[in-house]
Amino acid sequence: MTKKFIGKRIVRNEDPQLLTGQALFVDDVKIPGMLHAAFLRSDYAHARLLSIDVSKARQRPGVVAIFTAEDMGNDWQPGPPLVSPPPTAKDVIFHSRRQVPLVKDKVRHAGEAIAVVVAESRYIAEDAIEDILVELEPLEAVVDLEKGLEAGSPLVHDDLESNLAAHLFQKKGDYETARDKADLVIKRRIVLDRGAASAMENRGIVANWDAKSQHLTIWDTTQAPIPIRNGTAARLGLSEHQVRVIAPFIGGGFGPKMMMFYAEELVIPWASKKLSRPIKWIEDRRENFYATTQERGQIHDVEIALSEDGHILGLKDVFLHDTGAYDPYGLTIPLNTQCHAMGGYDVKNFATEVSVVFTNKTLVTPVRGAGRPQGIFIIERLLDIASKKLGIDRVEIRKRNLIPPDAFPYEHKIIDQAFAPLILDSGNYWPVMEKALEMIGYDKFVEEEQPRLRKEGKYVGIGIAPFIESTGVGPYEGARVTVEASGKISVATGIGTQGQGHFTSFAQIVAEQVGVDVEDVRIVTGDTTEFHWGTGTFASRGAVVAGNAIHAASSIVRKKILELASKVLETPVDELELEDGLARVADIPNKSISLGELAVLANPLRGAVQPGTEPGLEATAYFGPNYGATAFGTHAMILEVDPETMMIKIKRYVTVEDCGTVLNPLILEGQIHGGVSMGIGNAYYEKLHFDENGQLLNASFADYLIPSATEMPRIEVGHIETRSSLNELGTKGVGEAGTIPVPALFAQAIENALYNQKLEILEMPLSPNRLFELLNEEKSQ
Amino acid sequence: MKIEGEYTFDGPREDVWKLVRDPEVLATCLPGTQSLHLVRENEYEGEVNVHIGPIAGVFSGQLVKLWLLIPESCTLTGEGKGKPGFVNGTGNVRLLDQGDNKTLMTYAGEVQIGGRLASVGQRMIDTVSKSMIRQGLSTLNDAIKARVAARADAKEVEYTPPSETEFAAAVAKDMAGGLLSSKRFWWLALAVITVILVVVWLNVR
Repeated sequence: MTKKFIGKRIVRNEDPQLLTGQALFVDDVKIPGMLHAAFLRSDYAHARLLSIDVSKARQRPGVVAIFTAEDMGNDWQPGPPLVSPPPTAKDVIFHSRRQVPLVKDKVRHAGEAIAVVVAESRYIAEDAIEDILVELEPLEAVVDLEKGLEAGSPLVHDDLESNLAAHLFQKKGDYETARDKADLVIKRRIVLDRGAASAMENRGIVANWDAKSQHLTIWDTTQAPIPIRNGTAARLGLSEHQVRVIAPFIGGGFGPKMMMFYAEELVIPWASKKLSRPIKWIEDRRENFYATTQERGQIHDVEIALSEDGHILGLKDVFLHDTGAYDPYGLTIPLNTQCHAMGGYDVKNFATEVSVVFTNKTLVTPVRGAGRPQGIFIIERLLDIASKKLGIDRVEIRKRNLIPPDAFPYEHKIIDQAFAPLILDSGNYWPVMEKALEMIGYDKFVEEEQPRLRKEGKYVGIGIAPFIESTGVGPYEGARVTVEASGKISVATGIGTQGQGHFTSFAQIVAEQVGVDVEDVRIVTGDTTEFHWGTGTFASRGAVVAGNAIHAASSIVRKKILELASKVLETPVDELELEDGLARVADIPNKSISLGELAVLANPLRGAVQPGTEPGLEATAYFGPNYGATAFGTHAMILEVDPETMMIKIKRYVTVEDCGTVLNPLILEGQIHGGVSMGIGNAYYEKLHFDENGQLLNASFADYLIPSATEMPRIEVGHIETRSSLNELGTKGVGEAGTIPVPALFAQAIENALYNQKLEILEMPLSPNRLFELLNEEKSQ
Repeated sequence: MKIEGEYTFDGPREDVWKLVRDPEVLATCLPGTQSLHLVRENEYEGEVNVHIGPIAGVFSGQLVKLWLLIPESCTLTGEGKGKPGFVNGTGNVRLLDQGDNKTLMTYAGEVQIGGRLASVGQRMIDTVSKSMIRQGLSTLNDAIKARVAARADAKEVEYTPPSETEFAAAVAKDMAGGLLSSKRFWWLALAVITVILVVVWLNVR
């Protein structure tokens, strides 16, 4: 068999290009004659648009055009619904209200675009924005989720009877009966608030309509280049082949770049076609805080029923979900929350009801975690409370409830974010948790170190939080693998890349099949001219769905190589091997032919290609799972709280991940490190503060704090592999695993550290200030 | 944001009352004021040029008196709009005669801010605005003292209002201890406080 590449710690193919500044990002695109756009955005969160006067702005030298909603005429259309309500769910209410290119009648969140200026430079465009006279009549804003549903609340969408965007109820078993039999019922209100994704690179788009070739090229920081191409073509009345969308290197996606179409994605290509000029728009950081989607606002009223030996009998969750001003992304996030509220536990009775609420705030779409951290926070918090009330160790109560290994595939009988039945395909949960306990030295810490440190007056706590992560959902991805005459392999897949190391992990899959070195495989992602079937990079699915499509295509190419080599070398296929870029006879290594030579033979200049065969050593294949693969993991942490300042110091941080087959541990660890950093932000630093008028009060990195190097612990990563049964590679996703359990873990560890205080953490994000307030609230009660 | 505080002027209440009714005096005490005038009964309009550091922009404001008790107190609402965002506020000001040529001003207001002012300036606004109110009122007090002194000496006394730069420097000094990490926050602080001061001062007319 050929050399093994899968599972090897291989340094990244793309790093030399990235680290020397040679990689193409959207803002690097410069086209002669290119114009620059700036958007006039509303200062108000909710206001009626009375009038816009752009006459003065039009006169500014260097201004080429100014467009308002009115100027777009019939081309003014709201964005498409990305995800429709689940067709299989019963009695679902869903009011689809989508974002608009430019405000026509009413502003629905601060930062919503009202007009666009296209000018010779960004400086001129921004100056011209100041020249526009816009008359807005401020309206009372909908900010609070509960008040937003009260009768008499102002309406975000005037044509609806209330601010209810959607309602969905799902159940498994019979919670009420389970509760009647319970020894302990715990009820709590849990509140989770918003954060930003804060990718290093903001959004950006360059559109170039070339009138002579009748062709539109778009460079876009999107996670979904193919749907952007198809949608843009449809909106502009072009053939899909007249539009090329390139998602080049992107400095972080984290979900918000999966949202489509943003107002700017609707406006810039349209304006380029209108003016027959290339136009660039690059989002600045302050725009990013308003105009790029956010996540996590939910209010849960939860109830758990347990037996006295700590077994979960049932769980009930009634919650509100903030979708912001529009709901193009459907029910993805609340469905994820519902599907993760049971964690990795054997919960037989479950009832979950969500009301989605329109508010005068920035749109909500998935941000790394995408509803999952909320679900995990709920169940882990409830188990922590139960552990204290029942006097059962927190590890033990979890161990008693974990789904046993012989129960897989385990069906939960509710539907997931892809509307497929929630089935946990495979897993062996306890060994993962056990390994995390071993790595952090749980027993020794609790029995020896913690009592010693407490005697010294230190507030040191330990936390342990297991979690599941639904990953790798359909519908499908595809890939084309080609052996070139040089002997190198080129691969194209439809998904975009935002730093995940696709150019290496995907190359490893191919290299292993066709017997070349990893650096001889060139991967192209996110260019619709190279590959135009697929959906995008989301839901931790790249390595699972695109990875398996690439695996399938390379397996076919392998077969083609072997068949041709068999003819040329006059040796049966099963006596051949592919290694070092050669096809050779296993027993006679010098009887060989290079892949390059075979590629030339497969694509002859004279002679005839046999009927029924195809030229070249190339194959295209697709992979679509019936439902997503579910990964499992456990994080553990030791932290110290300064009782005066409430600042925390993370002493140890351990994660153990079971994401099935590991393609490249180096890349996997990088994913975990980044995810944990985001989780730490979600737990203790990052919170978007909106006032009662819907004004965001901390829209800069001076006030919105993201963890920096000094807040980051050294992260120890352990692996356990339980292959997924749903795909040939056996992979499960891991892109969000670093983030999901962190808020739950923090809450547990902080409570454990402040052992002599009466403290129950039922909200996230926290901050040193907020923790101080919580402790004072407890004291004053 | 809530604004409240008090300030003691070195002059009798009648003088303070008269002075703050004079738009010209107010305009000179408030560096950057381009115009300030009565448009109709109990309704004023003004424009203030904010020009500090790299930021320049005009703030236009309107002010409506709701309730007035001469020469003691009044309540009014105001709003201002400009490049850096918007400010809406309701304020109440009282002038209390303390005798001995002293007048105590108490002021309280509720101010809503939006746009760049709110999103980027939030952290600084509270501290900066307090300092700027103190500094603005102190400038006004200098004018009152000059007027009182002039009457005592029975001759004209020249009062020279501070320039925009001097005003900004005085505010920075007041904030002592480097609370302002960067000069770039001044523009927005000044913008907010400008409107607040207009509210406060016009209140007493």
